[in-house]
Amino acid sequence: MTVTQAMRGTGEASGIQLAVSTTGLTKRFGDRTVVDHVDLAIPAGSVCGFVGPNGAGKTTTIRMLLGLIRPTAGSGSILGGSLTEPASYLRKVGALIEAPAFYPQLSGRDNLKALARLGQLNLKTVEPALARAGLAARAGDKYRSYSLGMKQRLGIASALLPDPELLILDEPTNGLDPAGIVEMRGLIRSFADDGMTVLVSSHLISEIEQICDYVIMIRGGRLVHQGSVADLRATQQSDVIVAPEHDADREQLAKILEAAGCTVTARPAENGVLVETAGLSAADLNRLAANNGITLRQLAEQTRSLERAFFALTGTDEAGLRPGQEMGAIK
Amino acid sequence: MTWAAFTSEWTKLKRRTLLLSTFLGLAVAASAFVILLFSQAPATGHGGLPSLQQLARPNGLVLGVTRATMLLGIVAFGIAAAQTASEYSLGTLRQLLVRQPRRIVLLVGKMLAVITFILLAFLFAAVVAFVVAIVMAHARHTSTSAWFTGTGLGDLFRALGDIALAVAGYSILGLAIGQLLRSAVFAVIAGLAWIIAVENIIARIVPSTANWLPGASLATVASGGTEGPSFSHGLIVAAIYLVVALIAALGTFARADVTA
Repeated sequence: MTVTQAMRGTGEASGIQLAVSTTGLTKRFGDRTVVDHVDLAIPAGSVCGFVGPNGAGKTTTIRMLLGLIRPTAGSGSILGGSLTEPASYLRKVGALIEAPAFYPQLSGRDNLKALARLGQLNLKTVEPALARAGLAARAGDKYRSYSLGMKQRLGIASALLPDPELLILDEPTNGLDPAGIVEMRGLIRSFADDGMTVLVSSHLISEIEQICDYVIMIRGGRLVHQGSVADLRATQQSDVIVAPEHDADREQLAKILEAAGCTVTARPAENGVLVETAGLSAADLNRLAANNGITLRQLAEQTRSLERAFFALTGTDEAGLRPGQEMGAIK
Repeated sequence: MTWAAFTSEWTKLKRRTLLLSTFLGLAVAASAFVILLFSQAPATGHGGLPSLQQLARPNGLVLGVTRATMLLGIVAFGIAAAQTASEYSLGTLRQLLVRQPRRIVLLVGKMLAVITFILLAFLFAAVVAFVVAIVMAHARHTSTSAWFTGTGLGDLFRALGDIALAVAGYSILGLAIGQLLRSAVFAVIAGLAWIIAVENIIARIVPSTANWLPGASLATVASGGTEGPSFSHGLIVAAIYLVVALIAALGTFARADVTA
């Protein structure tokens, strides 16, 4: 569908084709509000990261998009179909929701056949989906014999069955080893190359940063930010690592920079300091140091990670999260 | 669409472990019942067990098979309850609903598949038990010629039809209870406790309720009517319970949030 109105909360230009759009999407369980008036606008063809700490409302939002949970309030459109009529769009949607769940006594292939039959899909889609997910060699084995990585692959294969226009992957790297995570990243990028819109949720912001071109940040059930990753980075102040030529000057350098309004953090590994510049450029920092008789050995600008951007946008830091809400990062 | 849900469910039901355990299990149980019936039967008399003389009559086999209804009902209830409840415990329900968001279609297709599966298992067990009965009758020097008369076969098919109807009823109850309780273990335990114990206790405390309870009504249907409640009475009462159970199961399933 073409949405002619501006994307809410982002100020982006109108006329962008959206795969998913919601207005005031809300879910309450009793008196607990899990998702609170969330307006989503996911451009068609994007790889959209959906990030937030554990318990932020990501899975509940995804379940509402898939018709598994009935919204308390709000409306939405997915691939042109109304959120209140999941049958109108789910034929074009593939989904992996949380941990993959299949019948343990059936083979991977038979599990997919059961789903293909249910969705009135051609059974010929099963083998290509298995091959694409890298599971063709073990497709005849019982699901209960699969490793966690293979189970995740079968989940991806099941999501690919309808040759989807929209692929929704909820924490697809959960439980994967580092090699599996790298492989999953490549797989997700390849889906986008095929023209699919991919919505991938994760509590690992660094994961999202590496594969997504669009990001939605959610916390406490509320939308914190949505927009392109590039635009988000552009709005963020950069940090600078500054290291004096002589270690003895480090303390004095820190005092000078703090006096200039910067926030300074020691970086022992570089024998320097990390400076949140408060609007000063790297050249300004260099000039400040030189005017105080300090020669710099290193002056390296660093782009802030999305993780830091998230904390900056929410005005919190990692310590402010409740136990179990960690915004983990794989560096 | 219901057909798609039906065939999808059969992909799961026809897995070897479930197929063999159900079909062979029921056949072995029914055969063991027939063997016991013939081996323990006195030559004549009207005691608790049918005599060989009674077994040799056209309705001789019917006397035997109707006594196994409780076993069939328990098996049907357990399998059916496990099939719906396990979708919650395995977490597979969310996958199913993404591929078939029309929930009533999904549940009806599933129910039809499970009922068909159980009825086929019952028919297979009946055929095996029939063959075993012929062998046992010959072993006890009992004539089986009356079984193959028009009257004998008519009685047998009528009895099998009544039992099949009751088994379908137990299956629907199991599917509905499994759906409502969402736990295979809890559903099976609750169902069996009700059929085996609770109804008997209620009927002993308040005897007037005996003909109005679901398990007793299905037993009446299975036996083709008793000296107490008639077949039609049992059928109507059982049908009311089944319709209420179905409405409750379908109604809650259609509206409930799937968080499993």
